[in-house]
Amino acid sequence: MLREVVRENVDLLSTRAPRKVLSRSSSSRRWVRRSALVLVPTLLFVSINAISVGRASKPDLVVFSPGQEIPLLPLDPNAPRLVLAKPRRVDPSLFRLGVTTVVIDPGHGGADPGALTAFGLTEKEITLDVSRRLRDLLVQARFKVEMTRDQDTTVSLKDRAQFANGHSADLFVSVHVNSVPQADRRLVETYYLGPSDDPRVDALVGEENRGSGYTMTSFKKLLDGIYADVRQSESKTFALAVQKELFASLRKGNPALQDHGVKSAPFVVLIATEMPGILAEVSCISNEAEARNLSHPAYRQSIAQALYDGLHAYAEERSPVPSKGS
Amino acid sequence: MVAKKDVLHVGIDLGTSRSSITASNGATHVVDSYVGWPIDMVARKVVKKSVLFGKEALDNRPMLDLHRPLERGLIKEGSPKDEAAVRELLGHLISLAGAKEPQKVHAVVGVPAEALRVSRQHLRAAVKGVADALLIVSEPFAVAYGMDALLHAMIIDIGAGTTDFCVMNGRYPTDEDQRTLTHAGDSVDELLVTLIRTRYPEAKFSVHMVREWKERSSFVGEPRGSVMVTVPVNGKPTALDITAEMKRACESLVGPIVETMLDLISRVEPEYQEKVRHNIILAGGGSQVPGLSAALEKALIEVGNGRVRAVENPVFAGSNGGLAIALDAPDGDWEQLPG
Repeated sequence: MLREVVRENVDLLSTRAPRKVLSRSSSSRRWVRRSALVLVPTLLFVSINAISVGRASKPDLVVFSPGQEIPLLPLDPNAPRLVLAKPRRVDPSLFRLGVTTVVIDPGHGGADPGALTAFGLTEKEITLDVSRRLRDLLVQARFKVEMTRDQDTTVSLKDRAQFANGHSADLFVSVHVNSVPQADRRLVETYYLGPSDDPRVDALVGEENRGSGYTMTSFKKLLDGIYADVRQSESKTFALAVQKELFASLRKGNPALQDHGVKSAPFVVLIATEMPGILAEVSCISNEAEARNLSHPAYRQSIAQALYDGLHAYAEERSPVPSKGS
Repeated sequence: MVAKKDVLHVGIDLGTSRSSITASNGATHVVDSYVGWPIDMVARKVVKKSVLFGKEALDNRPMLDLHRPLERGLIKEGSPKDEAAVRELLGHLISLAGAKEPQKVHAVVGVPAEALRVSRQHLRAAVKGVADALLIVSEPFAVAYGMDALLHAMIIDIGAGTTDFCVMNGRYPTDEDQRTLTHAGDSVDELLVTLIRTRYPEAKFSVHMVREWKERSSFVGEPRGSVMVTVPVNGKPTALDITAEMKRACESLVGPIVETMLDLISRVEPEYQEKVRHNIILAGGGSQVPGLSAALEKALIEVGNGRVRAVENPVFAGSNGGLAIALDAPDGDWEQLPG
């Protein structure tokens, strides 16, 4: 058991993604699968060599990584060489992808009140109210909108993400209210999925492709990695658009407001959702003045309007969308 | 290879609220998980230190850039100050343990399970350089290891930022064996603040005072007496009865914990479920809430009874477990783990 702990830490030091500990049954299934992956190409390779040179020697198994030269079989030093290009990030703006369905996720709810104001107002009430206002604005602008909760109910993070995935949302917006120990801070900030620069793709290729060159399975995972990367960059662009509007709009009536910008963070709802998504901390409930503002419907409406403006700006940039009321 | 006597082995529980250390030389220390840097030259002149820890930091908070680095059980990404705070806190704990030159320090650091799950790289960066060799484990695993509860057991570690669940099946726990809730000590404090303010709007008090009241008088079920506190109301010290508020705030933990506990038990292989039900261990500060074990045992009746017990020493259960891991880890393993 300790060996497993140490191995996980060593993996982390060598910047490999930690290996998942598998149950005995899944380990054996994986072993059989891996064996097949290695044995089939190995036997094929051995057969080819046996036929071509008349002896069945065991070849060295080589792991290739992107950008590395892959010799064509047979291993002839004079044979032409194929270089697998390193994958390049796809620019999603090339596809002019439109935004039609938006899933709004009012943070917390039910048994989970979230942060609390000094006057008894809960984060779950604020997020639900702001989300309903945002929904109304988006519906007016002809977006299709779904909400992970429309009442004061408990919804797990997994269910929220599955809801967004199940509704094939184009964008995911999780609405939250910040609470920080420093009561004088009045900040707004927006998060997107991150980090993206871990060597997950390299690790996958290295592990899945061991000894048999690239397989279709590993190539698919490689592509998955690239698309995850695209999703992250889209989420960042989306977050920047929303944060810009949030801060610019709320700062007008609230000069003390601090712009904490956009940040990447591994929130579960952002990891498990399959579309560009953000988690917006739209206000700071731990600040007394800000908490009082939040008790006013007009302030909540201005937050919803700012979220709408940011979302609309992002969607407009990706593909023109109908303007509000048109 | 370094001889055992030339090494100080330490187990550290890096908690949201408190952090503790247990060392192989017998030293044990605990500090509140606050780290503060003087905000300017004046503050530095007043506090006479470049960095303050624990209660001292909390008491001087107006003059400090104060950080509680594992707020909500996670290091916030993109927060270098929080990373620095983790590093300072670990360095401070290790210095308290009293390693003697040229003794090397081999440390096992237990962190909230959620932090380990989602911020591994960040944690590693944050703790880099604080010891000669360092191993990071999840807190419930450290507790289980220290109590030798590695087979057919469930650890429920109720901390300040998170409540971590871990089912031990005789192997290193997978993600499927673990859960994390944000219903924990801090959420009880926040609810208690709201409830008291609602009932006594004129009363003046801070969340730190409420935390002290909770640590003194928390309970689930029937109260053993009235919970009375004294606070200024319109400038006059006034005694307030907060028994009902305390009960409601503390019992807000029960529902989510029961739900998660029963769900995890239902996922254990059927022939072992009864063994796990009878080997549930509460750890962390929340484990000491009177009546909580009984409430959880009551909930287990509907699935065939069970036994819930609390660790005897919640402050050091994690760090003691960390020390046990540190002493058991072979020297060859430590050589692979630079600090």
